Amino acid sequence: MPEGTTPSTTDAARQRLALAQTSLLSTLVAGTPAPEGFDRSRIAVQRRALLAKRAGVVARVAPELPEILGEDFRPAFLAYARGRPMATEGYRRDALTFVEWLTSESAEGPGSAPALDDTAREALTAWWRERAGPAPLPPAGRVQVLGRAVVRFMRSSTDGARAAFSHPGPGLVRRGVRARRRGPREAPQPTRR
Amino acid sequence: MTHLGTGIGWRPEIADAVETLGVDWVEVVAENVWPGHLPDPVRRLLDRGVTVVPHGVSLGLGGAERPAPERLTALAERAEALGAPLVSEHIAFVRAGGPLTGSPRLEAGHLLPVPRTRDALDVLCENVVIAQDSLPVPLALENIAALLSWPGEEMSEGAFLAELVERTGVRLLIDVANLHTNHVNRGEDPLTALDLLPVEAIAYVHVAGGVERDGVWHDTHAHPLPEPVLDVLAALCERTAPPGVLLERDDDFPPVAELSGELHRIRTVVRTSTYAKETQDA
Repeated sequence: MPEGTTPSTTDAARQRLALAQTSLLSTLVAGTPAPEGFDRSRIAVQRRALLAKRAGVVARVAPELPEILGEDFRPAFLAYARGRPMATEGYRRDALTFVEWLTSESAEGPGSAPALDDTAREALTAWWRERAGPAPLPPAGRVQVLGRAVVRFMRSSTDGARAAFSHPGPGLVRRGVRARRRGPREAPQPTRR
Repeated sequence: MTHLGTGIGWRPEIADAVETLGVDWVEVVAENVWPGHLPDPVRRLLDRGVTVVPHGVSLGLGGAERPAPERLTALAERAEALGAPLVSEHIAFVRAGGPLTGSPRLEAGHLLPVPRTRDALDVLCENVVIAQDSLPVPLALENIAALLSWPGEEMSEGAFLAELVERTGVRLLIDVANLHTNHVNRGEDPLTALDLLPVEAIAYVHVAGGVERDGVWHDTHAHPLPEPVLDVLAALCERTAPPGVLLERDDDFPPVAELSGELHRIRTVVRTSTYAKETQDA
């Protein structure tokens, strides 16, 4: 191994790097205060750019959503996404969570979901039901997880799969099924073409 | 170093155009292709002898954690399925949080800049060695475009890349549009970076268009190649003959004639560089 890269040396450096990068990413996507020393206006530009990119990718993996919402899609998505980091499971999960937020009962005021007319609500609910089916059993091993994730993206439209990876986003392997406070289990979901 | 020639980033939207353009090689986003299920147009390019290089966007070698074995395996599988002579990724972090900080995992959905510090370089070098050990072909890493600068940076871009190469033997994918982006956004002179970085480690070069808005350069890959970006390419070609140059166009796709024009501009810069003329005369 080359000089200067022994594991014991990097453990402390990894720790310090993790704190610094998490602090920066957290301010960019989770609404925590900006760490010291960064140009605040550039942080703001980067935040907006990340939100816009995320909206664009979700619009491509779930093109039905901009169809249903029309010009309301973008402002609604940005209102949802601000301060709500994307799920580590990726853009399809993000789209589902966005629809859950849209269709949930919520108080009025800034940051809450826009009012939906009945047609949009029905369409969104139907869309969600098609994609948030019952969760299969958790995978037994790493190889199975990789295979299942590959199958999921293969079943989805090539547009969705392409868009899902058109930017750094979902890994090919999920890190495991996590329970959610509400909404469906996060498990590979069969999608219809 | 494998000779690649002039190429274009393969995207499904321009699959037909790519087939007619007659490029020497293409690059595909690694996460968008599945071994054993390659898109037919890519299969046809391979059958014609066009080199296809997988370019990963989600490894995050610049992050604090070691690269995930599953992600490395996936990249390796794509290299093998495509018969690629190398693979490429980025000097960036794309996720944070998790056990090292006891905070929720966060995905950036974007390539974010690595602080140019000793800590980050030590971690990056170890991550690169781990990656190289898992890959069947050489790895090239790309310098990214950044809106932000980290406070307290200890090294310049050129020095950082030089030491990365010296310690790991990794190849470089130099994106001249990203050098231009960092010139506008961070005041970093591309020529200084080109003077310091080891040009003999360059596996290939990215060229792309962008646009300036409110004093910020946005590396959109959706605009024609601007002169300043071609100037950086020319400066690079004064210092070395890059084995490959690749045009990146990801959005607002123009007609094939315009793409052909862009490739012609790239070939002209490469062909008329002093270095190319000197090696031709030798």
